[in-house]
Amino acid sequence: MAEAIYDAMGAVLTRWTMGSAAAPAAAIWSAELGAEPAEAELRLLALSGQFLGVAVTAEPPPELRVLPDIPALVLPTVPETLRPLVRRILAAFKDTQSKAELLDFLAARGWTTHPAEWMPTANDDDAPDVYAPWRDWAGIAASNNVVQRQAGDRLTAENWEDFWPAARKVALAELRRRDPEAARTVLEAKLASENADVRLPLLSQLAAGLSEADIPFLEGIAASDRAPKVKALAASLLARLGQGTAVGDDIAELAGFFSVKMKGVLRRSRVIQFENVKTPAQVHRRAALLESADIASLARALSLSPQELVDAWNWDEDRHADAALTGLVARTGTDSLVAQTAEAVSQGDASFFLATLTPRLPSGHRSELAEKLLRMRSFSFDMAKTIAGGTARLDNPLTAPAGATLLAALRRDGVKPSDELTELFALGLIASRAAARQALEQLNGAGLLQGDPRLDMLRLNAALDDNGAKP
Amino acid sequence: MAIDLKAIEQLATDQSSLKAAAGLAKPAKWSGVGASHDGALVWGECAGSGANPYRVMADLRDFGNKCTCPSRKFPCKHVLGLLWMKAEKVTPFAPADTPAWVSDWLGRRRAGAGTPKATPKAPANVAPAAAKDLRAAQQDEPEVEDPKDAARREAAAVKRSEDTERAILDALDALEQWIGDQLRMGLSAFIDDATARCRRIAARLVDGKAAVLAGRIDELPGRLLALPPGDRPRGAVVELGKLVLLARAFRTTPRDAEIRRAIAVAETREAVLANPQTLRANARWEVLAEQVQTRRDGLVSQTTWLLNLDASGPRFAMLLDFFPASVGRRGSVFTPGERFQGELAFYPSRQPLRALLVARADAADATNPEWPASEMALADTLTGPLLAEPWTIDIPVLLPTGRIALDDAGHPWWRSADGATTLPVAGDAEGLLCGTDLQRTAAIWSGNRLTILAAQTSWGRIGGHG
Repeated sequence: MAEAIYDAMGAVLTRWTMGSAAAPAAAIWSAELGAEPAEAELRLLALSGQFLGVAVTAEPPPELRVLPDIPALVLPTVPETLRPLVRRILAAFKDTQSKAELLDFLAARGWTTHPAEWMPTANDDDAPDVYAPWRDWAGIAASNNVVQRQAGDRLTAENWEDFWPAARKVALAELRRRDPEAARTVLEAKLASENADVRLPLLSQLAAGLSEADIPFLEGIAASDRAPKVKALAASLLARLGQGTAVGDDIAELAGFFSVKMKGVLRRSRVIQFENVKTPAQVHRRAALLESADIASLARALSLSPQELVDAWNWDEDRHADAALTGLVARTGTDSLVAQTAEAVSQGDASFFLATLTPRLPSGHRSELAEKLLRMRSFSFDMAKTIAGGTARLDNPLTAPAGATLLAALRRDGVKPSDELTELFALGLIASRAAARQALEQLNGAGLLQGDPRLDMLRLNAALDDNGAKP
Repeated sequence: MAIDLKAIEQLATDQSSLKAAAGLAKPAKWSGVGASHDGALVWGECAGSGANPYRVMADLRDFGNKCTCPSRKFPCKHVLGLLWMKAEKVTPFAPADTPAWVSDWLGRRRAGAGTPKATPKAPANVAPAAAKDLRAAQQDEPEVEDPKDAARREAAAVKRSEDTERAILDALDALEQWIGDQLRMGLSAFIDDATARCRRIAARLVDGKAAVLAGRIDELPGRLLALPPGDRPRGAVVELGKLVLLARAFRTTPRDAEIRRAIAVAETREAVLANPQTLRANARWEVLAEQVQTRRDGLVSQTTWLLNLDASGPRFAMLLDFFPASVGRRGSVFTPGERFQGELAFYPSRQPLRALLVARADAADATNPEWPASEMALADTLTGPLLAEPWTIDIPVLLPTGRIALDDAGHPWWRSADGATTLPVAGDAEGLLCGTDLQRTAAIWSGNRLTILAAQTSWGRIGGHG
């Protein structure tokens, strides 16, 4: 019976779709439909509707793809009770920067998000390394690729294809840490076969443990890679090794914008003076030359070492020059020069340019700088967060001038519920767990309600066990 | 933090608000009453006329307040009732962590939180405090009625009911005529112009006092267009066929409460609670999901799906409320995943589903029990309700272990672990939903598509996609 009805349905649907009477095509129900044509159509509609709604479901295609299980990460997901807080913070701070800081914070404390709250996409290069398996899972989901790859322990040129991209990047970083030569050898064999978007983050792994042995490989990349960004990165890495590729004439012209003078009576010291910047055109030209220069070549042209150049720099006199020099050091300076410049910059107003250098500083050093700037330079918590990132654990940040400013702002008349949101988030991110608890008490004392959503980051910090490795 | 009755008088917009608040300042009307540890915030849930309770919250420092009821009065009677209970210590306000819904409100507040004020300022257009009197509000007015008036009113009600029935029957004639026209003009043209055509007949049905049916037809194009183009003629036949069945059912039994509810209007909360046929179920419930939809008729529907975790009583419950879109965003009443012990009253039906929340308390054990197993064969689960109520649109189902699989176009399908059943899933599915076994899945089977509400997985409970 059902088969016969099913067979009739094709013709019935076709007729109704076109606008002709369908009852004549449903002989199987002729008794039920009756003789009156309009009534027969309605009855047929009721019967067909019930049949199609109950007995006919969409036929699945023969081939359906089942995605692999989302893998467990090496760090646990945040405790169930804290998931709503994480969810709310992610919803309140949608910008990429804040999200990255929260993820760094969680990873530094030994936790990850629950995948129902947040998962990276395959291209989320900013996600902490711990999420690499999820990035690769997202890559598999998006790629229509059903092949499962089994990654071995140690990355080699032979098993390169066995790793999904994010896991491969993490494995390369690990290999570089343990055996820098081996990591470069693998890259020498495999880098050229990857596309530019992949080559860039892979090549950047050489920044750790950079040595003269890397020079020939980097020179080859700087000379012949197809992508300008990859070439620029290779040139930057070479410059950190004192192998700057700056053109001699340009360096000579750039050196003309500076002069080295001696100052002091008893303790004579060098100082850089800025020359020939009377017109905007000159300022532009100097900026353009600094962009293509490297710090070692510039120092050499001024008959100084890079360390002496940074020491002699006249900070806080020319903001454009300060910004350009910090950029130049970040791009082409050695790790020790970056650290030296960061210390120098943090003494004065040029500390605003510190953020250029911080990505190249170890997290412990970043925290120290943030602490120092909070105390000595009256930085806001938000600025301190930019320096320290999501991995700091500052003690008593609320006792810094920024804390007094924040408390005063929260106590003033007419304060709105969304005021100081950024500062409170930043405070929650940079404070140690004990400091977060203390800050919550003080802020409650200052009139903020315990349930105030602006305190979510502090509450998460205070409630989350700190299981992370301390720098 | 204390509040005095004078302040409540000043806050009230008029005497009738105070009068209504007096009726609500009774513990029996409330559940989940609490206060923040610092005493500044109070909150509670008050049973209103809808299926869901209203969430009421107030900041005692400046008397900022919020209620999820649709009242245009500010503050509404529920806020006044809550403050009244606090002022007169009618019920204990247990110190507790601030619930997320109160925190969410704090984050959205427009006016000055954290600014203590000695006394609240009444809005300029509000009558002075002297014009409102709490004590007067508490006094019951004597109700004496002439027996003749009662008889007259009863006769008028019977006549009104007969008039309504006649109007509905006329409207259903027009509906069947309209359906016949759609078939004659071709379903292809109907699908292309469904929105405008449905709007016209829906307006006619509203005039004919078939408001619920009108709302359903207004939403028909949305359901149809959500189907893949190739499936729309089938979908149109199913939708229009159900309308014919419903119209015929009404003609046969126009006084049947369930059929009348599907066509004209649902019974009031009081009528459901007073009806001896009303099924009541006291059980542990889990909130599966909340669906909020702005409808074409200008109403917002708020549907809360609940899963019964106990062995007895209906497996699912649906709390359904409507409010005008013009009153703005309304806060959620429940948080998905939340569990509570509660008594529900089900609208009398062959398949009890729509319900009212009568009373609730926090579940003693939030983690147990696990979701129950599906009780019957999957095919019966999907079709059984359609045999009892062929015009049903949404059928909640509890699916056994399964997993999402994707076709070549990336469209998701739910496939049972034994591979015997594969069902199309509405919309997209991504992330965790596709990357783990779904040990149990609660979903709505509607228009031959599954909408996943929530699932239990090795990652814990996860929300669905729509």
